[in-house]
Amino acid sequence: MTQIQPMLKPKLSIGAIIARVLLVAILIGFTVMTIYPIIWLIINSFKTSKEFQMNRLGLPIAPTFINYPQAWKIGNFSMLFVNSIFYTGVATLAIVILSLSTSFAFAKIQSKATKPLYNSFVIGILLALESIMVPLFIMSIVTGVYDTRIGILIPYIGLGLPIGVYLGTEFIKSIPDALIESARLEGASYLRIFFSIILPMCIPVAMTLAILTVTSLWNEFMLVNILASRESLKSLPVGILKFSGSLASDYGKQFAALVIGMLPMLIFYLSFRKQIQRGLAAGAVKG
Amino acid sequence: MKRLLFVLLALAMVLPVFAAAEKDQAAEGPITLRVLNYADATTPAYAVEKEIWDTFRAQNPDIVLEYEELFDEAFHTKTEAYAAAGRLPDVMFMWPSGRSSTLYNRNLVKDLTPLMAPVKNEFVPIATSPGQFGILGQIPQSTTNTHVLYANLGLLKKLGLSEPKTYADLVAMVPAARAAGVEVVLIPAKSDWVMQSCLFSMVLGRIAGDEFINDVLAGKANFTDKPFVDSLAFIKRLYDDGVISRTALQIDYGEGPALFASEKSLFYIDGAWRVGEFITSPDSGVALIPPAKQQSDFKLMNFPVIPGEKNANSSSVIAGTGFGMNANIEAGSAKEAAAWRLISYLNSAEVLKKRLETGAFSNVTRIGVTASKMEPLQVMNAQLAPAKATYVVDGILDASVYGPINIGLQEMALGTATPEQVAQTTQKAFEEWEISN
Repeated sequence: MTQIQPMLKPKLSIGAIIARVLLVAILIGFTVMTIYPIIWLIINSFKTSKEFQMNRLGLPIAPTFINYPQAWKIGNFSMLFVNSIFYTGVATLAIVILSLSTSFAFAKIQSKATKPLYNSFVIGILLALESIMVPLFIMSIVTGVYDTRIGILIPYIGLGLPIGVYLGTEFIKSIPDALIESARLEGASYLRIFFSIILPMCIPVAMTLAILTVTSLWNEFMLVNILASRESLKSLPVGILKFSGSLASDYGKQFAALVIGMLPMLIFYLSFRKQIQRGLAAGAVKG
Repeated sequence: MKRLLFVLLALAMVLPVFAAAEKDQAAEGPITLRVLNYADATTPAYAVEKEIWDTFRAQNPDIVLEYEELFDEAFHTKTEAYAAAGRLPDVMFMWPSGRSSTLYNRNLVKDLTPLMAPVKNEFVPIATSPGQFGILGQIPQSTTNTHVLYANLGLLKKLGLSEPKTYADLVAMVPAARAAGVEVVLIPAKSDWVMQSCLFSMVLGRIAGDEFINDVLAGKANFTDKPFVDSLAFIKRLYDDGVISRTALQIDYGEGPALFASEKSLFYIDGAWRVGEFITSPDSGVALIPPAKQQSDFKLMNFPVIPGEKNANSSSVIAGTGFGMNANIEAGSAKEAAAWRLISYLNSAEVLKKRLETGAFSNVTRIGVTASKMEPLQVMNAQLAPAKATYVVDGILDASVYGPINIGLQEMALGTATPEQVAQTTQKAFEEWEISN
């Protein structure tokens, strides 16, 4: 009769154990560094400014909720929320579709113009927003789109395309040419191929791009501050900046405003964390 | 998906047309004024600020305000973008110098002297005289003591100390304050302008006087001369004597009032405009220092006698902020009349009284305006009259000259520069500025 030997875990050496403990300690350290500021911010949003100065690290002695309704009312956050959702939603959708369709052309429909056109897109990744702020502002006035929603959306979409085209092109390059050639032989147009073959296969990179775009647009402040004058067109970060800054002094309201601005992103992450993790891993650029 | 793409593209092409049409329509209606205001939403005075603008809208239905309100760096970034694009708002919040220099230097704002002429006698002279840039670019709503020594008399008493009369008295307080774990003088000096504007300007006025600055500007004196070096040396001495802690450089400007209200120091240095931070907020009904405590435990005073001073009890005073008008608005036009109506309203007794009551101002430039609903600190602020008003450095010198002073004041605190070195750097910057102008 054969005796079944229980599976034994290989015995770890002392060095391996120390390395593992160190690794776990480092990971815990990084986690604390990421999570603690958020918790600290939430805790301190329930303190008055005076209590915050007396007790910066502890729990609130007399928690107050007054900062939230006041910040919401003063900052006019109801309207800013709607605007932020609109800008983020429309621009993300447009960036994903336009980036992937452009990327399809760059990756699979080669011509002499492909390389210079592709480079002209990708060079946009290197542009600092500050360097194009004033020209953008002037262009926006000259074209008559200053202080309009479309005047904010166009630069958002335009500035999101370089990274989108870069990620999309590298991803689509990895799709076998044979698939496209077979479809062409069957008589499918490039538009049909894009929507029926390429787009479904690009879901991982589309997810990555959408995540990157949503997070950056939700927090975008500079452009919307410059390109809009009317309060009714501004977005959440502009409202938050009414409270924060080196000269601001009411920390309670400031922290409440920051929590209000951060909460949607936190909910977004907690709701889609699996997709986000999958998307970021799968959407990584393939060489 | 295809349809969605087409819809998006079509929208992108059509929406600008609607946007343009929307603007044309607005131009045909009542007079539209584009306004840029500076407002701190965290200050207790913010609710009243809203009320002031709402009242104007209600009283002037023939004027439509395209109102934009920003704060801190967001305001300055936007103003610079407007200036660069040559698309300044019709009416805008402005400083008499400093952060609004671009607007004056590029002639982007109108000289309001002719418009002000009929009502000139209703204001104090500083509000109607051309400023540093030779024009009346904005109507200052107040004059401001940029230096106020906020004293916590209650804490002094608790530690067995009394009100200081001389600088030596402040130095003598250091051991007792240290033993109690508090600072003697707290100044939120992380931003470099604070030390220059709220303390050094007053010190320079006391030791050197305005005559010295006038002489430097006229080429008769240098920043390396003794009065200027002595003034810088006094700032260094404040740190060396422990009257001001070097940790002041780590304190954000916004943190100052709450730290002082929390009894972290015996004294606090800031501008008179900061009184508004301590009084009862109309929003929450809460005060950083409750009125009864303001009355019993606090006092606003000028800095005590400084060794070597020649102007006793003087303090730095500057014309305050106000509203200016876009230079492109045609003289005599309906738009100019509307813009002037708005600026006049913002300088009316009705508005200035409200600003006095909120503590935004300690005094106003319109003669005869007083407020009844004032808390003790506001009353003390209004009564705080220096024996002599002297220049504020960033109000009289160009940014390229006072910039090195601001930095130098911080370097001295860190021990990386001596007063003589800072004086030399300032002189060099001044000579370069003279050549370029």
